Amino acid sequence: MLRFENVGMRYGAGAEVLRDVTFRLEPGSFTFLTGASGAGKTTLLKLMFLQEPPTRGLISLFGCDLATARRSQFPALRRRIGVVFQDFRLLNHLSAFDNVALPLRLAGRQREDYSHDVEELLGWVGLAERLHAKPATLSGGEQQRVAIARAVVARPDLLLADEPTGNVDADIAQRLVRLFEELNRLGTTVLIATHDRSLLDRTRAKEVRLVDGHLVEMRAQRP
Amino acid sequence: MNTDREGRILPRWEGAAPLDVVIGVMAFLAALALGASLVAERMAEGWRAGLAAGLTVQILPPAEGASPQWEKEADSVVAVLSTTGGIAKAQALSDADTRKLVEPWLGAGALVKELPLPRLVDATVAPGAAVDLPLLVRRLKQAAPDAIVDDHARWIQRLQRAADTVMWTSWGVLGLIALATAAAVTFATRAGLAANQDIVALLHQMGARASFIADAFEWHYLASALSASATGAAAAGVLFVAAGSLQVMGVEPVPFLPLLTLSPAELAWLVAVPACSGLIALATARLSVLAALGRIY
Repeated sequence: MLRFENVGMRYGAGAEVLRDVTFRLEPGSFTFLTGASGAGKTTLLKLMFLQEPPTRGLISLFGCDLATARRSQFPALRRRIGVVFQDFRLLNHLSAFDNVALPLRLAGRQREDYSHDVEELLGWVGLAERLHAKPATLSGGEQQRVAIARAVVARPDLLLADEPTGNVDADIAQRLVRLFEELNRLGTTVLIATHDRSLLDRTRAKEVRLVDGHLVEMRAQRP
Repeated sequence: MNTDREGRILPRWEGAAPLDVVIGVMAFLAALALGASLVAERMAEGWRAGLAAGLTVQILPPAEGASPQWEKEADSVVAVLSTTGGIAKAQALSDADTRKLVEPWLGAGALVKELPLPRLVDATVAPGAAVDLPLLVRRLKQAAPDAIVDDHARWIQRLQRAADTVMWTSWGVLGLIALATAAAVTFATRAGLAANQDIVALLHQMGARASFIADAFEWHYLASALSASATGAAAAGVLFVAAGSLQVMGVEPVPFLPLLTLSPAELAWLVAVPACSGLIALATARLSVLAALGRIY
């Protein structure tokens, strides 16, 4: 699914944020990525969802070596990944419905085809009454839920989430984790970067931790 | 792809209003320059055609007063011209008509009345016909020894140069304004793209193909530039139509200068302004988006 071998990453002439990161995400796995603030969790996620190239090392995604892949292959790879950004990155001029529907439009699906799915998903994340609200009128927690719905709506092969429960209360957080678990049961590989240890305690997921730029396995996935 | 029902990928007016005003004003100026160029070309053609379609024969007065012989020469000249191939019409101007011609410059005082003026015979060349001038001169010398043929060549040359200067100057001004309009459209499109850079990055990140993003942007900026420049060109069109209405309202045209009005066919040329603006915006948006996407991973 996803393989890192001796991956290093630095911004400009600065120190390496990630050093010799070697790990793999098995298909259908559920993993939590933890680490202190500034440990490089977001940088690691950026490498995973192809926002940045690594400074060194090898990354293989869906069996495709990114160092030798053609740029024209990247859009198709990216469409197989759902991303929950830490800053949500919603389009402010689109409604909650249209924001969530965006990945389906990019996949070439028609509104008649996806309308029901989008409404159902927004209902699941507790936004059934806010379908046509613009992001500016939504609270931080509501925007986060729209961002999560957008990331999962196309049932991606890989879901990467950066602090997906940072702005919601415990009940909603629990509900969102159930959504991720449900998606995982349907075959999506899930990786969640979080500070929230209570999330880890409620699941049997694997935990990997970033320490001084190195990735350390803290807990294996429990059966 | 970008229907309202689906929600447009790009916000419609965000930050674009002042730039639309710039495009509209530049399109207005470009349409005025285009219209003026068409008027200048029409004027130049009119000058050429008017002079080339005629020739004048002068019969110089004898040194001491008018003589019957001199008066008869005008009739002989008309007779020769009437039998010359290519001449459609020949007419001798009366003494009164000739004096009227010099009146604007010399006045109508007693001095002018005593001034010996040549007799003039005005000939019209048939459209498209050529006159064998050397042969005509020889025949006229036999019929009227005091006749001098003026085929307007000197005037045609000068006027042609003046007309060409006016025409090329107006096309040059049009070229400069068109260049400025193109620059304004390009600038507006790039500024809009810069403002929407985060949308480009997000769509790219979500796996949108470069062609999908470029399509969304080029249609957005095509529509924006079209509507702004069409407004500007339409305003210029109204101005030209209004200039034509001045004559209807009794304002007299300035002698030698054409009316700054355009025929329906010439007005149709103004459509080229929004069409070109739209194409420039479309091409700029596409190239800029593809270049921006090429720079990100």
